[in-house]
Amino acid sequence: MSADAEALFADHYQPLVRYLCRAVGQTDDARDLAQDVFLRISRTVVPEASRAELRAWLFRIARNLVIDYHRSRQRTPPSIAATAEAERPPSQDVVAAVNEALAALGDVDRDVFLMREVAGLGYDEIAKACDLTPDAVRSRIHRTRLRLRADLAAPIATHRTSTMRQSGRRQ
Amino acid sequence: MVNHEVISAFLDNETFDPQALSDALADPEGRALLIDLLTLRRLAQPDEMDSAQPSGRARAPRMRRLAAIAAALTLAVVGGYQLGERAGVPATDPPAPTRVVTSATTWQEVAQGGVR
Repeated sequence: MSADAEALFADHYQPLVRYLCRAVGQTDDARDLAQDVFLRISRTVVPEASRAELRAWLFRIARNLVIDYHRSRQRTPPSIAATAEAERPPSQDVVAAVNEALAALGDVDRDVFLMREVAGLGYDEIAKACDLTPDAVRSRIHRTRLRLRADLAAPIATHRTSTMRQSGRRQ
Repeated sequence: MVNHEVISAFLDNETFDPQALSDALADPEGRALLIDLLTLRRLAQPDEMDSAQPSGRARAPRMRRLAAIAAALTLAVVGGYQLGERAGVPATDPPAPTRVVTSATTWQEVAQGGVR
């Protein structure tokens, strides 16, 4: 791996895995995909660009892999997922509800939301990674948040108190 | 009608119109939205995924098994060597011959290193 690729790996591995975890819903698959991303960049010349542009480039590669991942999963029988859901313990209900709400979103809305909320990208970076304008990113993020707020009304109501308690503790 | 999009921009540390934010937060629905979006942000974090734990749990027994195999191999090699050291003749002494074979042939040295 070149020095540029290694630096990218060191700087962005964690946010990338966080994004991939939510985008594919499986931690092990997310780690595999993250390795694929860095394998790809190690085989290419890292472009001369600003840190923000490189981050957008990296997430663009990751996003393409996520799209391929979901396409390949659509061809596999759904029995595995159905079994896993049936055996799910009640403690994982919130996690499952969030995953289901995210899965119900359109690909672009989900990626825009996750890149912002989970990976911490700015609107400009997300715009470059997803081929959108920053204004479109701003609108999509807000629209997606409103939809998730409605879809996850019960978990949000349950967790609202603990969130506020933690925020108060930090002050 | 108040546009609450500015609340998202504020949460994301992006540029926003302060007056628009003030108007949005003057609205009770805007304040409720701000709190819900903070909660949603927390819920969206993958730290809350329990799926991260099984892979860690699955790796631990595998590592323990590999360590046990390595320890057993080391013990077998060292133990075998020490048993041989105790039971056997020291490696510096040549073994005593048990049978001497003599040949009827009379060997003759010839020129150029040959044997007849």
